[in-house]
Amino acid sequence: MRAKVAVLVFPGTNSEIETWRICRDVGLDTHVVHWSQAASLPNYDAYVLPGGFAYEDRVRAGAIPAHDPMMDYVIEGAQSGKLVLGVCNGAQIVLEAGLVPGTGAVRKPTAAFTRNAAAHFVCKHVYLKLTIPPERCAITAALSPHALIPAWAAHGEGRLAATDEHLREITDGGHLAFVYAHADGSVDERAVPNGSALGCAGLTNREGNVLAIMPHPERDAWNYNHPDRRQTDNILAPSGGVMLFAAFAQALERL
Amino acid sequence: MSLRTIAIKLKIPDNAAYTALSALRRLGVEVARLERAEIWQLEDAGSERDFAARVERNETLFNQNKHELQVLDTDRPRAGEAWIEDLDAKDVPLRIAGVNRARRFVAWRLFSAGHTPADAAAVRAAVDQLLCNPAIERAITA
Repeated sequence: MRAKVAVLVFPGTNSEIETWRICRDVGLDTHVVHWSQAASLPNYDAYVLPGGFAYEDRVRAGAIPAHDPMMDYVIEGAQSGKLVLGVCNGAQIVLEAGLVPGTGAVRKPTAAFTRNAAAHFVCKHVYLKLTIPPERCAITAALSPHALIPAWAAHGEGRLAATDEHLREITDGGHLAFVYAHADGSVDERAVPNGSALGCAGLTNREGNVLAIMPHPERDAWNYNHPDRRQTDNILAPSGGVMLFAAFAQALERL
Repeated sequence: MSLRTIAIKLKIPDNAAYTALSALRRLGVEVARLERAEIWQLEDAGSERDFAARVERNETLFNQNKHELQVLDTDRPRAGEAWIEDLDAKDVPLRIAGVNRARRFVAWRLFSAGHTPADAAAVRAAVDQLLCNPAIERAITA
């Protein structure tokens, strides 16, 4: 039986369609679930929180939706081992809910994806490089070591910020799942579009069933939205961003 | 050089405050009304007499169609109030004649059912549960 995945929509979410499409195309039984349908969430095997501006980023990006009734079910699901993937604003929500890095209590965030160093919105093609052993996180387990995933960074508040103590917890605990990298896989400050601490593009929790990534691989899932495609490439063929969602689907098959 | 503190708040309905109020009630914080304002502490070399007029001329800070400006007689949060500041806040360059430095906070003021300022415990609960992420912000309370 195909795994059943909920793509959550809060008021202000805006990336649910491309997220639903990529989940569907990797073989998942995917449904868009609006905030008014929160009570249906226990029926799903996994949750994907897409990008947007949930609750218009009021108070702080991710702060209000982290306390939405939908998140009661997501937190409960995560604690019972269900997979949770947050992308962009979804990553901010997952972090505000305390699910990643997961070193504090629920809804007591120990870090934030906050205002970019340059203090303006960034829209830039980037690469995410896997920095943990793939099997450290269930969602990345099917990726190859040091996998490089193309994606689009599109955020004003994507810079990881935390105290030195909490940044140490992130590195020592193996929570730094992805960093920003160049197309050849090299890593330096120039690859980081937002001044993110540790060059962080994604975090996982202690148990490895929750992953939060700031850039959008679902927006570089097919050649037609990959900026470096060659003229001879089939524009409808998958590009690299699909890798992460295929790995997500394989993780659900194993559960 | 004088330190002057102003509050700029919406005179139209404040949807962000309403959303935060709903979230706080859901979290069990006892609050009947919530006000939000931008607090600016300005180091001013100009005269007190035309201070408000100089600030109101800065159109990135103040829009007379939707904002009201109050010059506060305190540089600390009032009863029922918490000021939230970014930990990595930098001096904001504001083009206001006479103003050299500016420090920004977001003020949240909680009121209880009797329209009196909420007690310190309610303010603390609101700060801890929603209004401040200590990884990136600090809260100052009355």
